[in-house]
Amino acid sequence: MLPRLSLSGIDKTYGSTQVLHGVSLTVRPGEVHGLLGENGAGKSTLLNVLSGVIRADGGVIRIDGKPVTIASPRDATAAGIAMIHQELQQVPELSVAQNIFLGGAMRRFGGLLVDRSAQEAEARRLLAPLDANIDVAAPVRSLRVAKRQIVEIAKALRSNARIIAMDEPTSSLTPNEFERLVQVVANLAAQGVSIIYVSHKMDEVFRLCSQATILRDGRLVGQVPIPETGVGQVIELMVGRDLATASHHRFATNQKVLTVQGLARGRAVQDASFVLHAGEVLGIAGLVGAGRTELLRLIAGVDSADTGSVMIDGQPVAAGPRARIRAGFGLVPEERKRDGIIRHRPVTTNIGLPALRRFSRLGMIRKGLLKARSEELMREVGLRPLDVSRPIGSFSGGNQQKAIIGRWLASNTRIYLFDEPTRGIDVGAKAEIYDLIERLASEGRAVIVVSSELPEVIRVSDRVLVMREGRISATLGPGLPDGEITEANIARAAIPSS
Amino acid sequence: MSNLIQSLFSRIRFREAGTLLGLILIGAVFAWQSETFLTAPNIINILQQSAINACIALGMTLVIISGGIDLSVGPVAALSAVLGAAMLVAGVPVPLTILGALGVGVACGFVNGALITWGGLQPFIVTLGGLSLYRALALIYTGGTPIFGLPDEFRALTNGAWMGVPNPVIAVGILALLVWVILTKTPLGEYFMAVGGNPEAARIAGVPVTLTKLAAYMISGLMAAVAAMILIGRLGAAEPTLGTLWELDAIAAAAIGGASLMGGRGSIIGTLIGAIILGTLRNGLTLMNVQAFYQLLATGIIIIVAMLIDKLTSGKQG
Repeated sequence: MLPRLSLSGIDKTYGSTQVLHGVSLTVRPGEVHGLLGENGAGKSTLLNVLSGVIRADGGVIRIDGKPVTIASPRDATAAGIAMIHQELQQVPELSVAQNIFLGGAMRRFGGLLVDRSAQEAEARRLLAPLDANIDVAAPVRSLRVAKRQIVEIAKALRSNARIIAMDEPTSSLTPNEFERLVQVVANLAAQGVSIIYVSHKMDEVFRLCSQATILRDGRLVGQVPIPETGVGQVIELMVGRDLATASHHRFATNQKVLTVQGLARGRAVQDASFVLHAGEVLGIAGLVGAGRTELLRLIAGVDSADTGSVMIDGQPVAAGPRARIRAGFGLVPEERKRDGIIRHRPVTTNIGLPALRRFSRLGMIRKGLLKARSEELMREVGLRPLDVSRPIGSFSGGNQQKAIIGRWLASNTRIYLFDEPTRGIDVGAKAEIYDLIERLASEGRAVIVVSSELPEVIRVSDRVLVMREGRISATLGPGLPDGEITEANIARAAIPSS
Repeated sequence: MSNLIQSLFSRIRFREAGTLLGLILIGAVFAWQSETFLTAPNIINILQQSAINACIALGMTLVIISGGIDLSVGPVAALSAVLGAAMLVAGVPVPLTILGALGVGVACGFVNGALITWGGLQPFIVTLGGLSLYRALALIYTGGTPIFGLPDEFRALTNGAWMGVPNPVIAVGILALLVWVILTKTPLGEYFMAVGGNPEAARIAGVPVTLTKLAAYMISGLMAAVAAMILIGRLGAAEPTLGTLWELDAIAAAAIGGASLMGGRGSIIGTLIGAIILGTLRNGLTLMNVQAFYQLLATGIIIIVAMLIDKLTSGKQG
């Protein structure tokens, strides 16, 4: 039997980074095929190639043995490929039927008018085997995420899709809704539709899939049959060998600086408690959505906690970013453009912003002083070009990051909170930022680093907290009961078991 | 002081130079067309005519830079004017009256700011509501009729001159210098830029976002009240309908001067030149006996041309 879909030798390079290295994948008709890998392994890129959002640099895509060119989402639809994104791409105000027929409405009167009743009848027919309870006239916004997914599947069937790719479809489903989805997926497969199923959750993959393709660092690690291949072996393939703890200098002391107790906000962060010592670098690992960024924002006072306390030197600190900054916290946010920089203002202002009063005399900013201090700090961290009067928006990502770190260096910050400090930064600047983190620790500052890159967490951290579904699931470090800091230990604690 | 002035001139930048060039071009055309245009009395006349719009535009510039808009300035001026005039007619001492009227402006600005910050409402909608609300209060209070008979002691303040320069021009000049200092020299000025440029990043960096926005709207209300005092002093009466469409002239001046309605960018010097451009246009076209309808047309064209030039040149400025 010819495979329904076969990818071979797919390459993709962005700038100087190759994100896919000759990836291949084969899916038979009616097969549910798992696509697995850590964050950044290349799963999304591969799905984007398949759905025509981006073009591969090389490689061949065959459907039923015939090579096809997929240069646009339209080509993908024509080839019978549909994609169910994690963030559903629907128009919330339009009805279920209208969403199903978006971009290809049924018409009457010579194409002048949309034939609503025919659309709704057809929508009902498509939905019947999936979930007959969905009201085709209801606006999509009134449906829960699970039902919206069903609507999206109906839309895929409407365009006669024979290959449906689902990206983390269960990330916000209840167990009951998941059971329903399992039914739907099994039915589709029985009708000969091939499903590519992307998930972090091992139990789902083992429940649904008969084959799995595993990617790591943009390379194909293997295509294995399931359940013949065990869970442990699959995880092993995803994370690679256990890296020995990278050697770096340790400056951690026994002096407690930060105590976090029972910090919680909704379902995002639940009952987080830990301590941080002077000179210590604490990594926080976990999957996207595990609550790491949210925890960091609670500590920085950017979001307010439902319960729990944050203490410096045993003293509780008031809420709000201003109070937390005064107490000695500094957040280096993940989304630099959105949460970090004031794009049109010079580097000097961006550095001085939290401490403008200290740079002022008689109510006036001492611009000379601010400039001199900014230059001094930026020389230390290697800002290129070293022109602090230029708007920060004109610098590269890595240099913007140095300026944002400089902001806290200028503000007597004692506790540095880094969220994905090297995201979108080139390799050279990355190393400089690691050196800077080490320098901060050597000066007795306390540092928290949230990172999705395991090698990064392992490289910089003295201890690692692993978060899973809003909770701290393990604390790793030399001599700790949960184990040493290894990729396997982190992955085991990070990946939900049910 | 000389240091300040030196710094003032050294800070005239690319964008402001462009606005100034526009003013010179427009002035050159009028000087060529009309002999009376480039005479000292006419230039003073232009400044006098631009003073009120410039005053409103100063506050508007701060609001726009901080990422908002204030559509209620005209009615705020009207309310300050009628309340101030009523106090004067009732015999309240002039300094106290001025303080009271300015207080009314600040209070209106505070209400706008409070609804926008604590109320979480959109600036456009809040001040659109204020536009009706404050006008209604002024009309209700006066029953729709102007208040006449302002004392000469008060009128002397706005009708006087110093070394040939009318007092209102001097007053607005001093206010412009103050606002310029606030914007370019103080933490509050940086906060306006930061809050307008990226409110979330500013909040995370510890900028008091709420207070900053409140300050912008309160200063805008204050400037509206100052403009109201200048106008009623010159007219000798306070009409509840005064200040109609002031908000649009002020926004136009700020925009011509380089303020971005997206927030985060703007210049006091630019706004001043913008207000003078609008005043010059009206003055010059009147001297050339151009119909009022065409004056409106010219104003519209100038605004759009200024924005187009902005769009074409801003790509390089980042």
